[in-house]
Amino acid sequence: MLKYLVILLDDTSVSFCHYRNDKEVRRLIPYDDLKSAIIWAMKENLMVQFVYPNYTLPIEYVELIDTIDHVDIAENDFDADVLIVNGFDSISTSGISPDLPFVLRITAKEFFDNVDRLSEFSALTIVFTDMEDWGDDTLDKYKTALGKLSRNVSLRISSGESSRVNLVMDRMQLSSMNNCGAGDESITFAPDGQFYICPAFYLNGEPPVGTLEKGVDIPNAQLYKRSYAPICRNCDAYNCKRCIWLNKLKTHEVNTPGREQCVMAHLERNESRRLLESLKSDGIYKTIASIPEIDYLDPFEKL
Amino acid sequence: MSDYKKEYTPWQAGRSKNITFIVTKDCQLACKYCYLIGKNDKERMNWSVAKQAIDYILAHEIDFPEESVIWDFIGGEPFLEIELIDRICDYIKSEMYRLNHHWFNSYRFSFSTNGINYSSDKVQKFIKKNPTHLSIGITIDGTKRKHDLNRIWNNNDEEKGSYDDVVRNIPLWLKQFPDAATKVTISHSDLPYIAESVLHLYSLGIHNVNINCVFEDVWLDGDDNLFVEQLIMLADKIIEQRLFENYSCSFFSENIGRPMDSIIENNNWCGAGKMLSIDAAGNFYPCTRFAAYSLRSKKPIIIGNVYDGIDKNLLRPFLSLDRTTQSPQKCLDCEVASGCAWCQGENYDAADTPTIYQRSTAICKMHKARVRANNYYWNKLFRLLEIEGRKEEFEKNKPQSSKLPC
Repeated sequence: MLKYLVILLDDTSVSFCHYRNDKEVRRLIPYDDLKSAIIWAMKENLMVQFVYPNYTLPIEYVELIDTIDHVDIAENDFDADVLIVNGFDSISTSGISPDLPFVLRITAKEFFDNVDRLSEFSALTIVFTDMEDWGDDTLDKYKTALGKLSRNVSLRISSGESSRVNLVMDRMQLSSMNNCGAGDESITFAPDGQFYICPAFYLNGEPPVGTLEKGVDIPNAQLYKRSYAPICRNCDAYNCKRCIWLNKLKTHEVNTPGREQCVMAHLERNESRRLLESLKSDGIYKTIASIPEIDYLDPFEKL
Repeated sequence: MSDYKKEYTPWQAGRSKNITFIVTKDCQLACKYCYLIGKNDKERMNWSVAKQAIDYILAHEIDFPEESVIWDFIGGEPFLEIELIDRICDYIKSEMYRLNHHWFNSYRFSFSTNGINYSSDKVQKFIKKNPTHLSIGITIDGTKRKHDLNRIWNNNDEEKGSYDDVVRNIPLWLKQFPDAATKVTISHSDLPYIAESVLHLYSLGIHNVNINCVFEDVWLDGDDNLFVEQLIMLADKIIEQRLFENYSCSFFSENIGRPMDSIIENNNWCGAGKMLSIDAAGNFYPCTRFAAYSLRSKKPIIIGNVYDGIDKNLLRPFLSLDRTTQSPQKCLDCEVASGCAWCQGENYDAADTPTIYQRSTAICKMHKARVRANNYYWNKLFRLLEIEGRKEEFEKNKPQSSKLPC
């Protein structure tokens, strides 16, 4: 069931997920389309997430956006509900406080090079921008880097300092899947006046799945539900992004993750498990349910 | 009744890897129901591509752990490329031996041929060279009028059936392969000739007739009733003439026509993805049906090539696919679901989106019709056997047709 409407305000709106937005030519969503989309969201009872470009919107757009309860997603805007930072170096150049929650979009190399500094943040969400290029070598390094990150986080928390990084902490705080939900729980409205599964589908030329006039009509909509994903439906890597776009890119099927996404999620899951046990042994997080030990990294192998 | 025909089981069924070389997309025939819509005489496999494919497959033994292998050759018409095939087979044998490969003593070369070139010197020489490692199926559709209805020569000038050119080779084929099976395909226009055709094939000496309706959406109103009529006519003849003792027809199976459990009977029907096909360009496919020349409306699904290998991520959807995920609710609720088949390639081709996870149900009414006729057949046969006191004996020794999906 749809819960969220993502509205791309411009073709150059910031990416907040794995996909890249290489568009440089501005295309602001037509005012009337924006207004209609907001009304549609109200009627469908959806929470709206506006995704901003890196320029100031006309005042009438700002006023229109304020007519509905919403979430703002923007780059380098400290007032945004979801603050996006692209690249590790941007943290220092933008002057972000370590206590501020933000989404850091980085490559695997940036992660490996800076892993020792990532535990300094109180509410850091890391999203990788080069997932489609990950192979076994990257995953091996990722495992090692997660171990380092987890130890650093453990030390900080045990010494009473604040530290939270999604990669090693999301799983311990989840009791069910918390996935992307594109096409199932969320849908995207693009500047061309049409609905898409997610921004990545729009930016990569995939066909639309509806218009404001006709509504959302997703062919084979069931395939966006986890119950129709044989590899995912019994998986307990609840932290997994389960990125529908990556699924399509890597396996050509929206319901089937590639091996790399599965292994990545399980490395995080297992590191989260170790971190939780470490914290529990220090008397912290004692009430959080332990994560079971498993003997696989790719649930495909268990089918 | 001591001469019951023994159970017909395909060689190493369920334990073998099927590797298909699409050696040519050319064929002497232009069968009207052929799903290969992009046949041509340009795309012929060359030796370099074939050798590269063999080298890749044999060098990656760990990725092909199956106990046995079936090296399959199709076209178009594979025997148009018998010289290349002969070279491929020689190389496979020598390389499996040189590498001490686990398939060396467990392999078959398999062919589905239209039979036209079967008695040619080159084909016969090849057969004599590989006598114990061959499976050859000649496709003959039944009586002359049924066969010639669809299986016509590829000739723009006049429509000419191929029955006479095929049937002359059947005696030689059966002499060399007495247990050989033929594959019969039923489309809309074939329906009135099913009974006579199966009986005709039996009369030619073919004991195993594998027969199926096409999966494409070709069925018209009333076809299901006509289908039942034909199958009941066939059932009556098989029972009256006691043909059931020595012949099998895959339309009649005890295992079809009951509801299926969503958990314990959730396997995919089709073997796509567990097979591997290679075309003339050196591309790998999960099954031949995903090559461009087989598809009406979708892009081919290429899972790699002989140079770069297989992209295992592209195989994951095929290998994780199960029955319930791809089936609409009406199939899950179906009271006669068992035995209802599907072709993953046709599902993909007919789907609303480029997915293999949407099951086509074009064959639904034909399956239900088959179940009705099948129930009639077994009720009648078992009653006869009970009256004769031979039911138990029959159960032990009955002939069975192939249970393989493809």
